[in-house]
Amino acid sequence: MVLFPRGRVAIAFAVILGLTSHVLPEAGASDAIDFNRDIRPILSENCFYCHGPDANHREADLRLDQFAGATADLGGYQAIVPGDPAKSELVARIMTDDDDLLMPPVDSGKKLTKRQVDLLRRWVADGAKWSEPWAYVTPKRHPSPRTRDSRWPRNWVDRFVLGRLEKEGLSPSPEADRVTLIRRLTFDLTGLPPKPEEVDDFVNDRDPGAYERLVDRLLASPHFGERMAIYWLDLVRFADTVGYHGDQDHAITPYRDYVIEAFNANMPFDQFTREQLAGDLLPNPTLAQRVATGYNRLLQTTHEGGLQPKEYRAIYAADRVRNVSGVWLGATVGCAQCHDHKYDPYTMKDFYALSAFFADVNDEAHFRNGTNTLPARRDPEIWVFEDDENRAKLQHWEGKVKSLEAEFKRLTPPKPKNAPKNWKPEPLPAGSPTRAKLETIKGKLKTAKRVRDDLMKIGRRTMVTVATEPRTTRILPRGNWLDETGEVVLPAVPEFMGKIGDDSSSRASRLDLAYWLMSPEEGVGGLTARVFANRFWYLFFGTGIAKVLDDFGGQGEPPVQPELLDNLAIEFLESGWDVKRLVKLLVMSQAYRQGSVAPESLRSKDPYNQLVGRQSRYRLPAEMVRDNALAISGLLVDQVGGSSAKPYQPAGYYRHLNFPTRTYSHHSDQRQWRRGLYIHWQRQFLHPMLKAFDAPSREECTAQRPRSNTPVAALTLLNDPTFVEASRAFAERIVREGGSTPESRLDFAFRHAVSRSPDEYEAATLTRLLETSRKLYQDEPKDAAELVATGLTPVPNDLDQADLAAWTMVARAILNLSETITRN
Amino acid sequence: MTIPNELAARLMRRAFLGQAGVGFGSIALGSMLARDLAAKESSEAITAKYEGLRGFPHHAPKAKRVIFLSMSGGPSHLETFDYKPTLEKMSGEPMPASYTEGQPIAQLQGKELRCQGPMTKFGRYGENGQYISDFLPWTAKIADDICIVRSMVTEQINHDPANTFMNTGTAISGRPSMGSWINYGLGSESENLPGFVVLTSTGGRNPQPIASRQWSAGFLPSRFQGVEFNATGDPVHYVRPPKGVTLDQQRQLVSAIQQLNAHRNELVRNPEIDTRTAAYEMAFRMQSSVPELMDISEEPAETLDMYGAKPGDGSFASNCLLARRLAERGVRFIHLYHRGWDHHGGLVRYMGVCCKLTDQPVWALITDLKQRGMLDDTLVVWGGEFGRTPMYQGKGGVGRDHHIKGFSMWLAGGGVQGGITHGATDELGYNSVDKIVHVRDLHATMLHLLGIDHSRFHVKFQGLDSKLTGVEEAHVVKEILA
Repeated sequence: MVLFPRGRVAIAFAVILGLTSHVLPEAGASDAIDFNRDIRPILSENCFYCHGPDANHREADLRLDQFAGATADLGGYQAIVPGDPAKSELVARIMTDDDDLLMPPVDSGKKLTKRQVDLLRRWVADGAKWSEPWAYVTPKRHPSPRTRDSRWPRNWVDRFVLGRLEKEGLSPSPEADRVTLIRRLTFDLTGLPPKPEEVDDFVNDRDPGAYERLVDRLLASPHFGERMAIYWLDLVRFADTVGYHGDQDHAITPYRDYVIEAFNANMPFDQFTREQLAGDLLPNPTLAQRVATGYNRLLQTTHEGGLQPKEYRAIYAADRVRNVSGVWLGATVGCAQCHDHKYDPYTMKDFYALSAFFADVNDEAHFRNGTNTLPARRDPEIWVFEDDENRAKLQHWEGKVKSLEAEFKRLTPPKPKNAPKNWKPEPLPAGSPTRAKLETIKGKLKTAKRVRDDLMKIGRRTMVTVATEPRTTRILPRGNWLDETGEVVLPAVPEFMGKIGDDSSSRASRLDLAYWLMSPEEGVGGLTARVFANRFWYLFFGTGIAKVLDDFGGQGEPPVQPELLDNLAIEFLESGWDVKRLVKLLVMSQAYRQGSVAPESLRSKDPYNQLVGRQSRYRLPAEMVRDNALAISGLLVDQVGGSSAKPYQPAGYYRHLNFPTRTYSHHSDQRQWRRGLYIHWQRQFLHPMLKAFDAPSREECTAQRPRSNTPVAALTLLNDPTFVEASRAFAERIVREGGSTPESRLDFAFRHAVSRSPDEYEAATLTRLLETSRKLYQDEPKDAAELVATGLTPVPNDLDQADLAAWTMVARAILNLSETITRN
Repeated sequence: MTIPNELAARLMRRAFLGQAGVGFGSIALGSMLARDLAAKESSEAITAKYEGLRGFPHHAPKAKRVIFLSMSGGPSHLETFDYKPTLEKMSGEPMPASYTEGQPIAQLQGKELRCQGPMTKFGRYGENGQYISDFLPWTAKIADDICIVRSMVTEQINHDPANTFMNTGTAISGRPSMGSWINYGLGSESENLPGFVVLTSTGGRNPQPIASRQWSAGFLPSRFQGVEFNATGDPVHYVRPPKGVTLDQQRQLVSAIQQLNAHRNELVRNPEIDTRTAAYEMAFRMQSSVPELMDISEEPAETLDMYGAKPGDGSFASNCLLARRLAERGVRFIHLYHRGWDHHGGLVRYMGVCCKLTDQPVWALITDLKQRGMLDDTLVVWGGEFGRTPMYQGKGGVGRDHHIKGFSMWLAGGGVQGGITHGATDELGYNSVDKIVHVRDLHATMLHLLGIDHSRFHVKFQGLDSKLTGVEEAHVVKEILA
């Protein structure tokens, strides 16, 4: 491990051991103080801005982010004298009554609480014990704690969870009922609701292996890859459009298929990383590996007339640094674009050196080629077909067209130098051999072009990475691209994290970077493993062990259970980056199987559920809100992969787009009912439904979506034609398949939507809505006809329309229930 | 429809920001964001009407709301408010290189740079004789109400990033727009409408695209994002019940949903369901309040004439009238975009078109607000994302390129002194040289008028205390305060 090549591992190790003895989220009056948990956050928040890593903005030459700096002689006194608060200037300055001396300064808007002042004073008195930032300490395996209850834990994950709960005097929640379990698992692993027969099978299968068989079935489902892709595409900011100015379409959907397939095939996560960052640099890259390099092209680009290439080169470089550091390092290296990082040890030089890895990505064609085309021209791109045969065919026919065109040109008389604008070659005499030959070529050319164009229609273009001569990378003073006085830098990883390889003269490549990111021995694989173990935990427990998923730095939050996070990271590493194995470990745990309804006492003690004394419950992500409604109604088209889909969208929504102007036409074929992750992702005008349910615009890396609950979301679920159509299709199903009585039909409807039967109150409420609605629609047949004609699905002509419309209202109510859109 | 009394009472009792001792915005958001992000299981819930941050406003506000008139594309300061006789004299001569060397340039990169004199006449209007061009005869009538700032500077030279900079204080995507910031700080005065409303219109040169990022809430909770109201189709997306469903039926449906959710909640005790109840309540109210608001046909004919508005035409005139109606109904931030001001060529012709569409409505808006006594607490801001070069560009007739080192905006009402001109550019209208006002100074001043100290209004994002005014120093422009 070379994270701390200068022999800091020993200190690091001691810290981790130290952590095991602390269990509360923060130190109480009698607990020992832990630097990373209790002190660093206070210093970082209140002091580092002026007394931190940024050398150019350091006040009084005092550096408080390192032990040496904090205890340095400042001319007869020290900020901190370990063990002696009375002699420590820091303590004096945070406790003084004199506003001119007080730290943090009054005008900073920061103020320490009494508890924070006490903590700092006690910490100094205890010897001011320091430790390295937790995230940069190599993870180590920790023994599972002993628990009083030995029956509850099913695996070692549970022993950590239970051990912690017991120390807090808390008990885990009882196991969720089997209906909740299969709903939770199916949503979590496939993004879809379970079918009623699947629920019945599981509920009735009392075999002890039933749960594991269910998990295995879901992990093997092709929809597992889709579900994981939803998360991955947020991280890497995948979208169908360029983002800036005209927000034109660009060609990239095969990359999405690659991601889905990689998760389905359980591709080792290190390989997945290497292929995306540097697939083009692997020996004899396969087509899939080249498609994977689309990653380097996912950033926002501009095609605005009047763009200045130098400016956008700088913007693109910064974008790539923000993304690669956010995705793999859980770090905000982007902050070091204009100055050294204020809170973490990243320097400006680190920022530019990291950007230099991508200086060979050929991404400048659009600075020269035509702007404002739809789709945008973003060479280099390649053709992708479902099968290799067609790809070879296209290559053949493209070559044919080229050679025929050349031959045609060769045989036509050349254009004279001073020819007028509308000059045309003199027609050759009829019957001349050249003319006959030209006619033949013309005919052949026409055929060749037709075959080629037909092939292009079934293929898709996708942006890929092609390496070119690397651009020179300079440090831009204060991030100013007009200033070319900065030092030239070569690709390098952040200095404090070590370096890549030996000091050989060869330039480090994207492939070197990818290996470094994933190697526990020669790089930061331990850190990367921890970043992703934390994110998988978030996906299956609703909140991270370290709460801030994309900032493991000083301004993030230290993990609540560092040993558990360490062990998960080690598990991920030692399994050879086996994603499905890690996921299975998490969902097989008893912790995962807990119920989500918790007593008020537990909720107030641990509002964000970081101790996992229960399962979390939350509204489904945007795509799944859609998928769920389509699945329940029976409309869902569950084909995996392919080009993007355009569902209904309010007319005129793209009217502010220009260069060129855009009209949106929803798809009228099967694509209308595809899953949410395939929806055309227009960065500037994301589909209003996705937006209403917090899907990000994908301009930047998103590790964690907000989970809002707004009137706009309510209006969407009530009135968006997609949901109205799903309701009337669901109504048709209810009427046809749900038996003949209102009771049996409501039972059918509830079992499809929420996997259970309605109780008396629910049945009565919906029956009232049904009867009132039916009466109204019998009086207003025109209204009924309009409602049941929403969307493209054919209107059944053998069903009573007033009845169908009334059931549509019932279906709308059911699709709007909190329970329907909640994972719990 | 009403929420059951007991629930309504419970919702109202709960302070939006919970029980934590909240001193600053940053801390408040910490808990709020976390709450929105994590499975929200604490005992708080969101009321339909958000009351703003504790401790806000910091001082007594002069302005309660803002109407921001974005002249998107970048109107020429040299043909509106910045009269440059020297530039007139030098028209056609090479632009002195001392001005342009090493400066960012947009479409004129690598081209020969020549001076282009003003393409219209200027007059002096109002008590203090402010310069206003002949393109703006109606604005001239309100000379005593507006404060012209002729020394604006910005940092971004292309439209999209420049608009983002004007709205969010940075060119990096993902930051909150000023309308979101202000609603987050001060809360909403309306129970039926969102606090941040956006209206757009077209006309002029081929309009620049405008991204919804311009009214994004960025890292603030999404309830603070701007909601675009449309002149045609549904005034707000999905605000109308589906075809074949009356508003009455929609009420029955929403009631059934509310009852079923409340019933379920007795079993699962999920505070999120209470929040959803409030959201559905507001959603239902919007189904009637928004169409009512957008229907300007009920306005007296003389009012419609004053603005030059025709119901349903989606014009800037109609949007100005709607701005007044939104202001009356307590909307905090009303953002109008007119998108035809990018005059690389045919400047005289297109200025004619844009000014004809916007000049009178702007006069009408100021006059109408004044007559209703609303101008005193409504801040109106007019301006583009940048200005235009003193240099000639000829893309289809004489025009000007983008320019960021000096341009003009104006402010009116809401605690701003009317009838004054602030700051100046150099004699060629290139660099702001006197009393320079950076975009962040404009933001600081707007916040100040709203009762907010910009330096104490920050939100923790990616570890930093992010502010609308950014990381550099920003100053309230005290000289223009009333």
